[in-house]
Amino acid sequence: MKRTKNTIINFAINHYKLATFIMILFTIATGFFIPKAVIDTDPENMLEVKNPARVFHNKTKQQFELSDIVVIGIINENDPDGVFNPGTLKRIYELTEFSKSLRWSDTDNPESFSGVIEVDMIAPSLVDHMSQAGPGTIRFEWLMPKPPETKQEALEIRDKALSNPLLVGQMISEDGQALCIYLPLTDKLLSYKVYTELRNKIKEFNGDEEYHITGLPVAEGAIGVEMFTQMGTASPLAMAVIFGLLLLFFRKLVLVILPMIIATVSVVSTMGILIGFGYPVHILSSMLPIFLMSISIVDSVHVLSEFFDVYTKEKGRKQTIKEVMNTLFVPVLYTSLTTATGFSSLLLTSIPPARIFGAFLSIGVMIAWLFTVVFVPAYVMLIPEKSLKNFGLSAQEENKQNWLTKILRSVGVLTYKRAKLVIGVLIVLVGIAVWGITQIQVNDNYAKRFTKSHPIRKADIALNNHFGGTYTAYLVLEGKGQEKLAKDDVEQITQELEIFAHKINDEYQNSPQLANSLVQMLPELAKINDSKEAFLDSAISYVEKISANSSDEDFYTWQELNNFLGVEKEKLKIFKRPEVLKYMADLQAHMETAGLIGKSNSVADVVRKVNQELTDGRKENFRIPDKLQSVSECYMQFQQSHRPRDLWHLVTPDYKQANIWMQFKTGDSMDTRAAVKEITSYFKEHKPPVELSYRWAGLHYINLVLENELVWGFLKSFAGSFLVVFVMMTFLFRSPLWGLLCMLPLTITLVAIYGATGIFGKDYDLPIAVLSALSIGMAVDFAIHFLQRSRDTYQKEGSWKHTAPKMFGEPARAISRNVLVIAVGFLPLLTAPLIPYKTTGVMLFAILSFSGVITLFALPAILTAGQKWFFRNVKEKNSNVCINTNIENQNEVFRK
Amino acid sequence: MKTYILLLALFVSDQFGVVKAEDKVPIADEIVKKANHMSLYQGSDSKGKITMTITDKQGRVRKREFNMLRKDMDDNDHDQKYYAYFLTPADVRKMVFMVHKHTELEKEDDRWLYMPSLDLVKRIASGDKRTSFVGSDFLYEDISGRNINEDTHELTKTTDEYYVLKNVPKKPNTVEFEYYIAYIDKKTFLPMKMEYYKKGARLYRVIKSSKIKLIEAKENDQKVSYPTVVESVARDLESGSTTVMNYSNVQYNIGIENDIFTERYLRRPPRKVMR
Repeated sequence: MKRTKNTIINFAINHYKLATFIMILFTIATGFFIPKAVIDTDPENMLEVKNPARVFHNKTKQQFELSDIVVIGIINENDPDGVFNPGTLKRIYELTEFSKSLRWSDTDNPESFSGVIEVDMIAPSLVDHMSQAGPGTIRFEWLMPKPPETKQEALEIRDKALSNPLLVGQMISEDGQALCIYLPLTDKLLSYKVYTELRNKIKEFNGDEEYHITGLPVAEGAIGVEMFTQMGTASPLAMAVIFGLLLLFFRKLVLVILPMIIATVSVVSTMGILIGFGYPVHILSSMLPIFLMSISIVDSVHVLSEFFDVYTKEKGRKQTIKEVMNTLFVPVLYTSLTTATGFSSLLLTSIPPARIFGAFLSIGVMIAWLFTVVFVPAYVMLIPEKSLKNFGLSAQEENKQNWLTKILRSVGVLTYKRAKLVIGVLIVLVGIAVWGITQIQVNDNYAKRFTKSHPIRKADIALNNHFGGTYTAYLVLEGKGQEKLAKDDVEQITQELEIFAHKINDEYQNSPQLANSLVQMLPELAKINDSKEAFLDSAISYVEKISANSSDEDFYTWQELNNFLGVEKEKLKIFKRPEVLKYMADLQAHMETAGLIGKSNSVADVVRKVNQELTDGRKENFRIPDKLQSVSECYMQFQQSHRPRDLWHLVTPDYKQANIWMQFKTGDSMDTRAAVKEITSYFKEHKPPVELSYRWAGLHYINLVLENELVWGFLKSFAGSFLVVFVMMTFLFRSPLWGLLCMLPLTITLVAIYGATGIFGKDYDLPIAVLSALSIGMAVDFAIHFLQRSRDTYQKEGSWKHTAPKMFGEPARAISRNVLVIAVGFLPLLTAPLIPYKTTGVMLFAILSFSGVITLFALPAILTAGQKWFFRNVKEKNSNVCINTNIENQNEVFRK
Repeated sequence: MKTYILLLALFVSDQFGVVKAEDKVPIADEIVKKANHMSLYQGSDSKGKITMTITDKQGRVRKREFNMLRKDMDDNDHDQKYYAYFLTPADVRKMVFMVHKHTELEKEDDRWLYMPSLDLVKRIASGDKRTSFVGSDFLYEDISGRNINEDTHELTKTTDEYYVLKNVPKKPNTVEFEYYIAYIDKKTFLPMKMEYYKKGARLYRVIKSSKIKLIEAKENDQKVSYPTVVESVARDLESGSTTVMNYSNVQYNIGIENDIFTERYLRRPPRKVMR
């Protein structure tokens, strides 16, 4: 280790020009790939391609021909008739027509296109209206074939729309003030493009209604796009502030620019390598620059701080940097290793972009380390000695006691003299924080990624106020175990066939004989068929064969009997069965009355609505008819509309799988979780009439799955890296006790941050999960510096009493400067319009300041209280952590 | 300017003259009239079994079978009556769909639906005829025939086999297409292909006559044969769905009684309808 260290330092100092050249070359070579970046804004990619939930989600989308949907909400709270006035409806019509045109043909395949799927759009001019037109007459028409011209016509459209429960709470709000146009997309990644086009179109309107554009794909798309925009604006802003702060501390532009260079080249080369390896830059990786920037700055600020404190004119830059690098090489290496380990623990997660993020952050950290140990000395050598005039603490301290030095000195006194008090206060604070942790609520909400003034967040609030909700999840039901032919089945069919033959005997005199001959055949057919469907099929073809050339009399009877078998076969299509549809209707009603969802739609609603209109239009006939054939007639009638395809979004054409659309009023994942839980227990408490399996799909549900993966994934990786870092610390200090002590500030920091999250009622969401897992490597840094230097100093001083005050000299100053620079430096992120950036700013501030403060308070207090234990073995010479005593002596000399 | 108009006039009249003299091309309206007769009005009545096979984008298949009766009200290709009796799926067997078609403009067709299980006869009023026929890719109007007076017709091209006509609706608000192109067989005058276009010349729907058969029949005691489309395919390019319609057991001029096409017979169809 010592040899490696010396080789590197000597190389950097002696061949500083070469070192600089290599760094520049490396940066340019890797940065070359950056323009080739492929951006991946799809949050779905956070799940493995083979993740069962994702697979099922995609299968569901395909089976029910579902698309991701952009929602345009139009709200008119100024007109007494809401949106149902000729002006607003005219603009809605125009916007619908415009939306139809948002399609782009595929250059590779001219037959296909991408964009809005016109046939699946929902808008007043594109949906059907079914109503009574006098006694015994049912009328089908477009709800709004053209925009109305008079107030009266507009109100008629409102009344028609309100009479359709399928549309209320979905296309129009119950109060008539709001209306939604749904635009299904061929690909959700087009949402931002569609969003932008719509916004431009809406700008042309000047009515008194408001327009909102929302829907999960829009929120996700916007996050994707805007995260990258922020990456370009927030990072430089933070960098500028940090630069200002550094300048304030060190007052030498030529040196202060150094951490900026290190940060820039580390970020550029890491991103370059990531892209060069062909990985797409996922939204998560858009956070990479800002993390890497802060970490690389921390490293170089440690060096710079030390250099500032140690530098004297007499010693000169070469000697000083040599000493500084000697002192800091090991701690900087270890802090980098721990940070890299913390990040690489993300490799343990099952989240592909997190693995890439973690891997390249680790690589980036080590690149930053390399740049720090090689380029910092080289850079110092590049600076002419004369430009360091008046640089350094010694130069400044001659005049006055620095305020920072003064504060730190009193902290040192406090932790030494009142160690037990400090520990006591900490224990109380940790107690409070632990209670806070129990208050944490895990919740995520895409809309809440945006600040309240962001149009997407505003749209979310406004629309979910008026509607059953714009967040959709799908509950897919499927029959289970009805396929197999059981012995009972044959007996039952035989019995029922005989009863049926008897029933039609009046009209078809030969029915009992023919039925009997058929019954004779059944056991035979049962032997060769093991599924119910195949059994019935063979019975049907048997009848067809023998009836083909029969007399008219026999033929008509055979037809009746055959139809009996046909209906038996239809019963296998369980979503034609009235009792199954009733079960669905009850389940939906339960979810709605429990307030767990805003609205739901299923075939149960379709059948009820058609049944109502087919009978007489009265409300009490909004019900499931009693016979399977009646249900089928309703289905058939629904398909005689302008939009027969709508049915296949709710049920598969074989009627063996059904899809209940659940609309949620909020994007909060905790609400989705509650609904999922409730469905599970509903199925347990209410046995369905046939055995049913149920599973969830939909982007909104996927987010819940994702959240689980993330929260547990990050927790797991957190635990993993905690252990690894602990082992590393034990190794570094050759003592598990010191290892534990080193983990303490980090542990308290995280407990405090989680505690604060709970106490202030902030949701534990994805950005927090990510950040806290990442913080482990950063929060341990100060402790490493502090403890490593404590031991070194102790070896020289021989007692803690004499060591402690030294620790509150230059080492404490380096820590405090870092805290101030980085923590404050990232506060400008709070101005970003995206919450994840704000969270990053707050979290970085919290992690660095907490771990810094706790390092400076808790560690010396504990060392004071337990000095007998801690320093029992330290006196033994440890070659690994030995440092140049010469430097420390000189240090001491100049400080006194 | 004057010269230009003169030239244009010369050019147009010349073109027109040449075509007219050499190919004896009938004017568009005549072709349409004839095609309308061939596709809907051959014989004074007809009967047959229609099988519809609907295949969606994913290859999932649904089937419908019904017997169809048709009777003309006069010999001038005007009003007609239709009676469709459903055989399968089994759960809608005996459902009947009946139409009294009126060719007078502005006069809506009378339509009835009988639903055996609900035991309901319902009259159906509709804003337009562009709704799906029993969930297939054929529209109601494809089955009963679009009134030829609703569009203006223009002969755009004459090929070796076809007269190609562009048909533009007189009331564009009432339909979803902007125009459609019909390919009429020059010999039989059967429409062999129809292409429907939306705004921006975007083709979204195609109906093809894929099989023609000569059906023997008697007309005034004379043996005749009617070229009949026995298989046609409707393709919805927007949804990716396709419907194949097969027409079998076709019979013409069998003397179907007029009273079959009344409400009374919806509930109790005569047996000849059923086999």
